[in-house]
Amino acid sequence: MSTSTNPLAHLFEGADDVVAEIERRGAAGADHPADAREEITPYHPKVLDLTVAEVVEETVTTKTFRVRRTDGRPLPPFLAGQYISLHVRVGDVLTSRAFSISSSPAALDHYDLTVRRLRGGRVSNHLIDTVKPGDRLTSGGPIGTFYHDPLFHGDDVVFLAGGSGVAPAMSMIRDIVDHGLSRRMTLLYGSRRADDIIFHDELDAVAREHRDITVHHVISDPGPDWTGEVGPLDAALISRLAGPLAGRMTYLCGPPGKYAYLVRQLESLGHPRRRIRLEANSVALPPPADPRWPAELDPEEQVTVTVRGRGSLRVPRGRPLLDALEDNGLRPEASCRSGECALCRVRVCSGEVFHAEEARLRASDRQFGFAHCCVAYPLTDLEIDF
Amino acid sequence: MSVDYDVIVIGAGNAGLSAAATLQRGGKRTLLVERHNVPGGAATSFVRGRFEFEVSLHQLGGMGGPGPLREILDEMDVTRRLRLIQDDELYRTVVPGVLDVTLPADWQGAVDVLDSHYPGNRAALTRFLEIVRDVGLWQLTARANLHRLKEQVEWLSGLSDVRRYGLRTYREVLDEFFTDERLKFVLSSYWSYNGQLPSRMSFMDMARLLALFIETKPYQIVGGSQALSSAMLESFLEAGGEVRFNTSVEKIVTRGGRAVGVRVDGGETVSCRLVVSNAPSSTTYTRLLDPADVPSGVLRDLGSRRMGPSATALYLGLDAPAAELGFATATNFLTTDLDERTVARGMRSLEPAPFLLASCYDVRPTGFAPPGASQVNLVTIQYADPWEAVPVRDYQQAKSAYAASLLDLLKAIAPGVRDVIEEAEIATPLTFKRYLSQPGGAIYGFDQDAMDSWLFHEDDLKPNVPGLVLVSNWVTAGGYNSTIVTAARLCRRLLAVL
Repeated sequence: MSTSTNPLAHLFEGADDVVAEIERRGAAGADHPADAREEITPYHPKVLDLTVAEVVEETVTTKTFRVRRTDGRPLPPFLAGQYISLHVRVGDVLTSRAFSISSSPAALDHYDLTVRRLRGGRVSNHLIDTVKPGDRLTSGGPIGTFYHDPLFHGDDVVFLAGGSGVAPAMSMIRDIVDHGLSRRMTLLYGSRRADDIIFHDELDAVAREHRDITVHHVISDPGPDWTGEVGPLDAALISRLAGPLAGRMTYLCGPPGKYAYLVRQLESLGHPRRRIRLEANSVALPPPADPRWPAELDPEEQVTVTVRGRGSLRVPRGRPLLDALEDNGLRPEASCRSGECALCRVRVCSGEVFHAEEARLRASDRQFGFAHCCVAYPLTDLEIDF
Repeated sequence: MSVDYDVIVIGAGNAGLSAAATLQRGGKRTLLVERHNVPGGAATSFVRGRFEFEVSLHQLGGMGGPGPLREILDEMDVTRRLRLIQDDELYRTVVPGVLDVTLPADWQGAVDVLDSHYPGNRAALTRFLEIVRDVGLWQLTARANLHRLKEQVEWLSGLSDVRRYGLRTYREVLDEFFTDERLKFVLSSYWSYNGQLPSRMSFMDMARLLALFIETKPYQIVGGSQALSSAMLESFLEAGGEVRFNTSVEKIVTRGGRAVGVRVDGGETVSCRLVVSNAPSSTTYTRLLDPADVPSGVLRDLGSRRMGPSATALYLGLDAPAAELGFATATNFLTTDLDERTVARGMRSLEPAPFLLASCYDVRPTGFAPPGASQVNLVTIQYADPWEAVPVRDYQQAKSAYAASLLDLLKAIAPGVRDVIEEAEIATPLTFKRYLSQPGGAIYGFDQDAMDSWLFHEDDLKPNVPGLVLVSNWVTAGGYNSTIVTAARLCRRLLAVL
């Protein structure tokens, strides 16, 4: 018997047969797949090296950046509604932002990222003001859970979009058209003014040509020429435009501050919460607007955050930990920046953090002190590790 | 010679955590290195919407009475950090239109239930389960006492049933005792817990599983397996251990053929007196090490091992209570027919799933679903190859189609599930490959047939390369009890010589 056989083995009936079989297999030899990580890269690349191929001015406030893989290879497949996290350097600070892909999953030679100027938004303004064709960017691979799941979403869906929240809806519509999917989609798209409507011509053309695609523009600040629907997008208007909601999955993408209101409107129509899916793209109620924020703690006041082995920083309580870390050149991995993806998880060794409502924590995270630093705020002096 | 640490543990999976906590608590300055941002490896969970999803734990064995895992976790100061819930039943097994049997976690109770379904088998059942118990308990005990070999040889010499049946296939022994295929089928339900069908699994291994869960009872953990792995990490840290998350080990550094440290991503080298690898054997010996530093016998042995199966899982968050949906038992095995070949085909193809394990975490709620809702995992055992053959662009569609077939099969016990899905997430062997860095997405290490038994692979747990030991399901049986207990025992013995 081989040297690796335990002496106890000899006492078993059939031990010789086992040893013979092991030797036979050894002689045949098996090659084991070597590197799991390498094999999975075509599906889930960690980093994409991108070049801006084209910049399209969609509206006064919005541009679409068409990016291709710098080495010319096809981009990884994605599901309409998913996003990529773009790595961006603004001044000295390296940060990232999640942008829904607005292009069709049928075309993998490019992704379109549709970006709208946010008032005071460091990254959106930087992209719109400075990025031009030929520029190089990096990003993570496509990610996110906001997409049509054929297992339970059904073939008749409703999408309530606001502003640049139309980007994932555009990708879903292009998916239906390009792949000839048998799926009905009704888009209720809210904009402030008529000239804010992104993809206006394409949406109207698709709706004309495809009976399964319905588009309603809803304007909150109509000019004298506007003859279409006027907001607010409340239960009555949703019901009138979309018809009965029973059984139809309803997607929401827009300013997170509107979600609570829209969910209430849908629920008042008898639509169950499980048939409503939200794309959380930022925090709806940053402190101190969150009613759970401890009133006695001033969000402007600074506390000390110590990163194990990497020094300390002073941070106002009301600043998300992730941003504060990035300001100081410390960069945990991050993707969604809205509490969901868990890539920016850090361990809180001491002190207390406040989590925004959006934080999708596990029960054990609370017990053992793990935080999603994109939506975590330092209530006290902290020591963290990542 | 001064070193940075006494021990460096590569990987914070169950076995890595167990090793790190044992060594640090034994006074060794230990660094634990983990490439993810959280401990646990497969012992983890994730959140979608209102639901938390258990990734890998179905039933925790070894915790009741003087169970082996209980003893280790007590010693590790971990048990007090956990809230455990005992399952009422062992499992429910269903073949639609053919059988539907629920077994209690009790030897006599199991005989009674099976005899009531399949009368005339009481004597054979009693004798069969007696052998199962003897063989299972022998294996659980023998592995704890391998260092007292003389005693062990003497003891085993007197155990004629163990010696006679241990290495035969489970199927052969079933055939010797029973003729009713349905009865044999129910007694084979746990095959998926080591990934080998009854005609390939050794009697010894099935006996170990049955004895473990019947003797020490199946448990659930409040907060799931992540609560267990986080509790092990906490114990390690409280004892003064250091952990580096988001850090990959690129190489095990050797000097004169001896492991003396690791090189992490970014290029830093950290030195130590002992490296403990929780990475797979093949990764450790052929990637992390230069194969020139590995004895040829070890490489030849690797070549004799076969890649074990992975799994495909559909994680479901359901907007209805468990009882209303038809889940009265936490653990439910559901198969389309009695023929083992049907399942064997399913493990190597993307035909509609012929088999699934439905674990419901809300028969007695573990806290994963909000009140009034429930969390259910549907898992089937599959090798990676049929998934690797799917073109990258068609992968999503293949996932959805396969998940739909799992839901179709589930209808037999829970027909209303499809109407109340609130969240759904699918994991394939490629997903396990991605998150666990296991070759082939293997969830139990190598194929665990008789040829993989520890009886024939003593070297698995030896420092084949001086200064290096391995701990994981690649060097011991798969499963929480086995990997955690084996790693802790190995490290306790190392404490004596370090």
